[in-house]
Amino acid sequence: MASVGGGSKDTLSLNLNPMLDIFSILITFLLMSFSSDPVSHDVDAGIELPQSTTIVALDEIPSIIVTKTEVRVNDVKVADIVAGDVPEKDRSQGAVYPVFTELKKLAEANKRLAKTVKADDPTAKGSTGALTMEMDKGHRFKLMKRIMIAAQQAEFVQFKLMVQKELN
Amino acid sequence: MSRKKKRRSLPYKDVELNIMPFIDIFSMLNTFLLFSAVFLSVGVLDVQVPFLSNQPPPDDPKDSRVFQVFVDVTKEQVEIQTSYTRAPEQLQKFPFPSNSDGIKLMHQKLAEIRKQNAGTDKATVTSDDEVTWESLAAVLDGVMLRLEGDPIFPPAKDAKNKERAELDAKIYLYPKIVMGSVMFK
Repeated sequence: MASVGGGSKDTLSLNLNPMLDIFSILITFLLMSFSSDPVSHDVDAGIELPQSTTIVALDEIPSIIVTKTEVRVNDVKVADIVAGDVPEKDRSQGAVYPVFTELKKLAEANKRLAKTVKADDPTAKGSTGALTMEMDKGHRFKLMKRIMIAAQQAEFVQFKLMVQKELN
Repeated sequence: MSRKKKRRSLPYKDVELNIMPFIDIFSMLNTFLLFSAVFLSVGVLDVQVPFLSNQPPPDDPKDSRVFQVFVDVTKEQVEIQTSYTRAPEQLQKFPFPSNSDGIKLMHQKLAEIRKQNAGTDKATVTSDDEVTWESLAAVLDGVMLRLEGDPIFPPAKDAKNKERAELDAKIYLYPKIVMGSVMFK
């Protein structure tokens, strides 16, 4: 029994039942929202994802993150975004050049890895795999296209575009 | 001879349950669950961009006449275009307003088109530069994903991974989405 000491001999007892009730409800709620998704990724604070009814879960950490102000490849800032587009100096033939150079390195690494995995098959060609992209919902397709063209030139043709699942 | 058991009433004892360990466990569990809780569920939309390949198209004779589906997105409207790769092309256009009702109608039309041409599981989406990613995602949702009540179309016969293809058939209306406007200048 919890008691408060002191000079007086009076004993105070704390009723813990309401606290236990709250804890039980909280645990039930948290257990219900416990995610069994293969990857747990915290969306960047500067990004609002568009809503979607997709049930396909995210299975890898995004390689390209496009916030309202910058483009990041593997968490390294490669370009700024000014007025919804990359500056002229970072553009080349419709693509974002710094994104292309970073993705080219990533593609080479992915290919080497794929070849190592399929080492017993001499005809096997290394694959670059899919590219996961996290982008703010307010950006225009113009910017997405520039990034996709850069990725396409770096031999990435499959994209996983991150969205926020609608809760039913 | 009847044996009567004498019931002796036990002296009343005030028993107290020590719930402190219980509270300790609950607190730990709460902390752990609060850290691992996901309040924002994230998903993905799979798309691909066109690419050049020197490999011959699989099982696609040069003179074959293939049905194709295009979805063109602008700020004002979403337009479905269907045609054949060879003459007679039979080009058809179905415009819808670019809002949630319009996208619902577009989805219904696409489901109808897919019913008539179950073999075509690819749709090419082209978009205006000014369309926002939010609007485009809504259109991609309408084109790609099956809704309740839509029929399940059999997966492609040449699918490499049958299990995956069968699962995809339950999720997608058009499993292959090509972003047609992504072309190198």
